Amino acid sequence: MAYFDNSATTPIHPDVVKAMNDSNTLHFGNPSSVHSKGRKSKALIENSRTEIAKCIGAQSEEIIFTGSGSESNNMILWSMLYNNKKHVITSSIEHPAITKVLISLAKFGISFTELPVDKYGMVDPDTLLKAIRKDTGLITIMMVNNEIGTVQPISELASIASEHNIPFHSDTVQALGKIPLLVNELNCDFLSFSAHKFYGPKGVGFLYKKKLKEIKSLTIGGSQESGYRAGTENISGIVGLAVATKLIRENLPKRIEHLKHLEKRFKENLNNINSKIFYNGHPKIRVPGLISMTIPGYRSDIMMAKLDRENLEVSSGSACGSGSIKPSKVLREIGHKDNINVCTLRISFGRDNSSEDVDRLANAMISIINE
Amino acid sequence: MSKPIIVGISGGVDSSVSAFTLKEKGYEIECIFMKNWDGNEESCTSEEDYKDALLVCDKIDVPLRTVSFAKEYWDNVFQYFLSEHSKNRTPNPDVICNREIKFNSFLNYSIDLGAKKIATGHYAQINKKDGLYTLHKGKDNTKDQSYFLCSLNQKALSRSIFPIGDISKDRVRQIARDNNLLNHSKKDSTGICFIGEQAHFKKFLKKYIPEKPGLIKTSDGIACGQHDGLMYYTIGQRKGLGIGGGYGSSELPWFVADKNIEENVLVVAQGHDHPALYHSTLTVSNFNWISGTPSKKNSLTAKIRYRQNDQNCNIDVLSKDKIYIKFDEPQFAITPGQFAVLYDNDECLGGGIIDDRK
Repeated sequence: MAYFDNSATTPIHPDVVKAMNDSNTLHFGNPSSVHSKGRKSKALIENSRTEIAKCIGAQSEEIIFTGSGSESNNMILWSMLYNNKKHVITSSIEHPAITKVLISLAKFGISFTELPVDKYGMVDPDTLLKAIRKDTGLITIMMVNNEIGTVQPISELASIASEHNIPFHSDTVQALGKIPLLVNELNCDFLSFSAHKFYGPKGVGFLYKKKLKEIKSLTIGGSQESGYRAGTENISGIVGLAVATKLIRENLPKRIEHLKHLEKRFKENLNNINSKIFYNGHPKIRVPGLISMTIPGYRSDIMMAKLDRENLEVSSGSACGSGSIKPSKVLREIGHKDNINVCTLRISFGRDNSSEDVDRLANAMISIINE
Repeated sequence: MSKPIIVGISGGVDSSVSAFTLKEKGYEIECIFMKNWDGNEESCTSEEDYKDALLVCDKIDVPLRTVSFAKEYWDNVFQYFLSEHSKNRTPNPDVICNREIKFNSFLNYSIDLGAKKIATGHYAQINKKDGLYTLHKGKDNTKDQSYFLCSLNQKALSRSIFPIGDISKDRVRQIARDNNLLNHSKKDSTGICFIGEQAHFKKFLKKYIPEKPGLIKTSDGIACGQHDGLMYYTIGQRKGLGIGGGYGSSELPWFVADKNIEENVLVVAQGHDHPALYHSTLTVSNFNWISGTPSKKNSLTAKIRYRQNDQNCNIDVLSKDKIYIKFDEPQFAITPGQFAVLYDNDECLGGGIIDDRK
């Protein structure tokens, strides 16, 4: 396999598959039922919750299961409808699951301020301080950018929020499993996660909600998830998610080391070629294994098509519905003109990639550039 | 290095069967779905079409890529469309889209991707004669699309394949059915792609060009109604004039015969046979000769609109890209802005924009 798009999604870990299969085969009971089958399912979910909480240093009652990272983000933002303060602060490089929701919220009288980023995609905490208004009811800033990998100074930003008594949310979908992430160090009130970004299944995510902080439910009905999300639980998904977080807890340093090694090897391979390649995002404060590279004069869709022919799968910017490339907003925000914006590839390594895979990719790219 | 044939796939049955046919013949192929209009929801079927294209490519196991030529389309096709309408003429964006997008932007993009040739689902055929490529009608006369390809040049023809040009539409649908391509019964697309239903045309155009209402007069100069703007009408149009069949000397319907642009008057005439609706000669500009100027100037045929039988004519070549056409029979509703396309039997010699008629 030569899959280098692990920021889009990851292959499911075999241990996760096994746990999910077992759960699907053996435990079909409705967790809301009081009989033994129901109780067994309920136990699976609650044990999973505990396992997941452990991974981020939270308490189990602070974990709410959702269907995705996007849903987690939506829950936080739509809760603004019930907030007396009608202003949100965000960054200019958020995922559409933040920016598009904010645009929708504008119809309901909720306004927002986008903080600019520097050439590395970094938010300056001073700009946050200046943007805070009396009616600011929420600050939401992603931890790791999905296109360029820059890691924001979340704990610093969150401290500013907490000094002003403003709830702070961070979209941490791209962070978990790649950098250490513990809630007591971050000082955030809400965090969004998605299982399939760290070798878990698709269609399941979770929200960290600090105790006593309030949000509203998007789906109303049964009292699942303490009333925060009605609907019978996705038991096997939750079980799979728990195994995936357990694997992070046990293997994070090893994974980070592996990703750093692959990234270094790839860049060394490309050092020798006579092209003005450059890398985007912060050179140091970044997630390992995510490479945003610009090859001036070489359109990324052409490069991707040629790599695809050799079964080498990479991405350009963030993936988009019908696949057509548009200049990326994130790259615009860090100052790239459209002509080099569209020459930018995203390569994201994963635990399944080997040094040989990386060499193959680098060599293929070199021969394509030299064609 | 891989040198595939790249098929422009739209999600319709014609391009799908084109891809399938080439694949069956053993060629290395890839498909590209073009997005030429930036997704505003009013008419965008693009997501649905992409899904169909994806399912077909999955079924026949070929890679599918996507490219956006929205900017090129906007600059080179849509601006032409607006400019013609603002001159109260009736443009043909399909012809220009073929020239500017499919057989230029898409062709060059495919070459960048290493393609040997491109293929599309057009009903037309390409031959070679005396070192030059020639364009011919599709074998299925009822579906022939050479009219829309009249602006192609030698480079385009030398690099293009029309895999279904020599089979009938019925056969195309049959092949799709036999091979379980999901779109075998999908309706043919009609209308202008970025407007969708004809019913939305007026609303659409109004967004871009201010309307200028005026009088409707008969060809004898008698005022008989009002129009919302000459740009909304096309010569020969019958529906939507707001003049009942009862008006005038007979029960016959009324047709748009002319646009008097100086006076902003829409000229109408009663009855399909009214002489004001007929002309025998016309001048054409921006004429593109596909394989050079022909030696033969007489006993040719021409079409002045897509759905028309070939009409006998003679021509005079006035300059490099200007010709004069004289028809044997007077023609109904010759429309400035539309394309006049010349044929010698089944060979499409080229086409250009109708400027004027007499």
